[in-house]
Amino acid sequence: MSALLDPAVGIVACPLVACLVTLTTGRWLPLRGAIPGLVATAGSLGLAVWVALRLALGTAPTHETVYTFVGGVDGQGVVFSFGLLVDPLSALMLVVVSLIAVLVHLFSVGYMNEEGESDLDRYYAGLGLFTFSMLAFVVADNLLMAFVFFELLGLCSYLLVGFWFRDPGPPSAAKKAFLVTRLGDYFLLVGVVAVFATFGSGAFAGPDSFVTAAEGVVDSDTGYTFLDLSGQQVVDGIGLLVLGGAIGKSAQFPLHTWLPDAMEGPTPVSALVHAATMVAAGVYLLARMYGFYALSPTVLAVIALVGGFTALFAATRALVEQELKQVLAYSTISQYGYVMLALGGGGYVAAVFHLTTHAVFKSLLFLGAGAVIVATRHEEDMWEMGGLRERLPVTYYGFLAGSLALAGVFPFAGFWSKDELLFETLDHAAGGVSVLWVAYAMGLLAVAVTVLYTVRMLLLTFHGDPRTDRAADPDSVGWTMQAPMVVLGVLAAVAGVLNLGTLRGVLGEETLLLAEFLSGETLEGFGGLTTENGGFALSAGQYAETLHDAAGYEAAGLSPVLSGMVALALAFAGVAGAVLLYRGDDPDTHVARLGRLGSVLANNDHQDEFQVWLASSVARRAALAANRFDRGIVDGVVNGLGAVALSLGGRFRRIQTGLVSNYTAMLVLGLTLLLLVFGLTEGWWV
Amino acid sequence: MTVPLEGYLLLSAAVFCIGVFGVLVRRNALLFLMSVELMLNAANINLVAFGLEYGNLTGQLFALFVIALAAAEVAVGIGIIVSFDRNFESIDVTDAVTMRW
Repeated sequence: MSALLDPAVGIVACPLVACLVTLTTGRWLPLRGAIPGLVATAGSLGLAVWVALRLALGTAPTHETVYTFVGGVDGQGVVFSFGLLVDPLSALMLVVVSLIAVLVHLFSVGYMNEEGESDLDRYYAGLGLFTFSMLAFVVADNLLMAFVFFELLGLCSYLLVGFWFRDPGPPSAAKKAFLVTRLGDYFLLVGVVAVFATFGSGAFAGPDSFVTAAEGVVDSDTGYTFLDLSGQQVVDGIGLLVLGGAIGKSAQFPLHTWLPDAMEGPTPVSALVHAATMVAAGVYLLARMYGFYALSPTVLAVIALVGGFTALFAATRALVEQELKQVLAYSTISQYGYVMLALGGGGYVAAVFHLTTHAVFKSLLFLGAGAVIVATRHEEDMWEMGGLRERLPVTYYGFLAGSLALAGVFPFAGFWSKDELLFETLDHAAGGVSVLWVAYAMGLLAVAVTVLYTVRMLLLTFHGDPRTDRAADPDSVGWTMQAPMVVLGVLAAVAGVLNLGTLRGVLGEETLLLAEFLSGETLEGFGGLTTENGGFALSAGQYAETLHDAAGYEAAGLSPVLSGMVALALAFAGVAGAVLLYRGDDPDTHVARLGRLGSVLANNDHQDEFQVWLASSVARRAALAANRFDRGIVDGVVNGLGAVALSLGGRFRRIQTGLVSNYTAMLVLGLTLLLLVFGLTEGWWV
Repeated sequence: MTVPLEGYLLLSAAVFCIGVFGVLVRRNALLFLMSVELMLNAANINLVAFGLEYGNLTGQLFALFVIALAAAEVAVGIGIIVSFDRNFESIDVTDAVTMRW
C-alpha cells in the first residue's frame, strides 16, 4: 500500500485542505470558513478514531516514509524525510487533537461569528493550519520533521494570538509568545543537529533510530568520544538540548512567561493552544522520544524537578490572579508541570494519561470561560462576576465538571491521572531515586494549591451574589457553544475509566486500558518497530525496562490506594480552605494579606523583568560585541583588501599617459630588457 | 659578386633602428607613419635575405604579404591622420592625450 493512501495522511491533510479552501474562498462562504474547518476536523476525528480502534483491535502500527527530500549519497550519509509513525501514542494524540479541534471550531461559530467579528476567514484559516501542524507533528517519524512542524506551531500561535492585531495588546503578546518559544526552539535546533551529527539518523523508531544508536553509545565502555565526553554525557547533553525546546513550548519554568500573555488571543484559540496544540507539543516530544530519555537519569531528574517546581509555582500564581483566563493560563502551566513530573518520575503511561485528561478538562474550562465572557459581554475579571450559576446552568455544570477534574476530585478524570503520576513518582522515589522525593513533595503540595485556586475561581465566578450589572443580567449562550461543553463535560467526568490506576489492587491490572494500549499488548504484529531483543520498541513496557536497566529506576511496590488517599486528603484540605476564604455573597480578595509575597506574585515573580534584563543587558551586549567583531574584523578584512587594490590601481594608472611616443618607448624598452634577460640567462655572449 | 648574409642583416638592423628612432622622437604623424614603414621594410629585407640564403621562396612570398599588409596599414593610418587633423587641427601626436586614465 502506498504510504500516501494511509488514513493518517488523510487525518493530517484534512485541516490543511480546509485552511487552503478558507484562505482562497473563505470570504464568500457562509460563516466565513467555519464550515470547511468543521467538516475537515470532523473528518480527521473520524479517521483518527478509526486508526486508534484498529490499533486497539490488533492492527500493526504504521511506520512509513512518505517523502524523502535528501536521500544521502549511495545509501550513505544522513537521510532527511517526512514519514508517518502511527503507534498507540500518536494514535491517542491524533484522537485528542482532532476532537478538541472540532469542538473548538464549533464553539468558534458561537464565540466569533455570532459576536460579529471581522476577518473570520483569516481566523479559520489559522485554526486549520494550527490543527494541521499539530497533527503532522504528532505523526512525525523523525526528529527533523517534528522540528519543522514544531516551528510551524510557533508561527500559528503567533498568527492566532495576534488575531486582533489592531488592538495594542495582542500583537505584543503574539511577539512575546513567538520569541520566548523561539528561545527554547533554538536549543531544540542545536539538539536536532546534534542528534543527526552524533547518531546519523533522526528516526524515532526502527532498528536504525537514534534511540537505538544512543543505547549502543551508552552501553559501550570503550567509549564514544567527542570532545572527551563519554557516551552517557553526550546523551545527557542532547537530552537537555531537546528538553529546552519542550520547556519553551510547554511553558515550563523559566520559559513560561509567554503563556499568560497569550490570553490576549480569542478564547477558543486559548482552548486549542492549551489543550491540544502548541503547549501539548513540548511534552509530547518528550514522550515521543522517551526511550532516549530513559537512558539518562540525570536528564530525567532535571525534568522531574523542573516539572514539580513549575507545577507548584504556577499554581501559586494562579491563586492571586484576578482574571478568569489568567487563572486558567497558570493552571495550564501547572498541569503541564505535572506531566513533566510524571515523565521525569518514570511514569510514562501516567504522563500520557494526564496529557489526555488535561486536554479534555482544560479545553472544557476554556470553553466555559469563553461562554462566561460572551455572556457577560467581554468581562474577564472574576471580581466583576459572581452568581452566574442560576443564569448560565449549562455553562456552570460544564465548568464545574472541568473544575472538579482539574482539582483532582474523585471520580473525575483528573483524579485518576494525577494520582497515577504522583504514585509513579513516589514509587520510584521510594525505590531509590532520592531526587524524586523533592519533585514529589512539590507535586503533592501543588495538589492542595490547585484545589484552592480552582475552587476560588469557581466560587468567584458562579456563586455568591452578582457583583455587577453585567453579571446580574448575562446574555444567553447559543447551542454551538453549549454542545462542545456538554461533550467535554461528560468526557471530563468519565475519561478516568481509561486507566483506573489507583484501584489497580482491587480491579486488577487488566482494567488499565490505556497502559495496555500503550504497552502494545493489543497489537498483533509490531510492524517493523521491533528491536533485536524482540518487543515493541516504543511500548511503555520497553520504556520501563530501559528505565530500570539504564537509569536505575526501581519500583518500590507501594500501594497506589494509599498514595491516592494522601492526595485526596490534601485536595479536601484545599477545598475546605477555598470555601472558608471565598464563600459567601461578598467574598474578600485576601490578596492584601499576603503582603510583600503578594506583590511578588502579582508582579509575575519578576520573571518578566528578569527576562527583559537578560535581553537588554546580557544578550544586547553580546550582540553589540558580535556586531563590532563583524564590522571591525570580518568587514575590515574585506574592505582592507579592496582599499589596497584601489590605491595601487590609482598609482599604476598614471603610466597611461595617452602619448603614443611613450607607449612606443615602453615597448622598445621592454623588448630590449627581454632580450638582455634572455641573453644573460641563455648565455648568448659567453 | 655576392653579398654575405651579414651585410643584409646589418642593413636591415640599421633601417629598423632608424624607424624606431623616428617613432620615438618624431611628433609629426605622417613621419610617424613613414617610420613604421621603415621598420616593416627592415623586416622584409630580413625575410628576403634569409630566403636567398636557404634557397627557398617562402621568404619572398612572405615579404609580398607584408608589403600588401603595409599598404593596407598605410591606408588606415592615413585615414586616422585625416580624422586626427579634423579634430585637433594639427597632426602633432602629442596633442592627442585625452585617451588616458
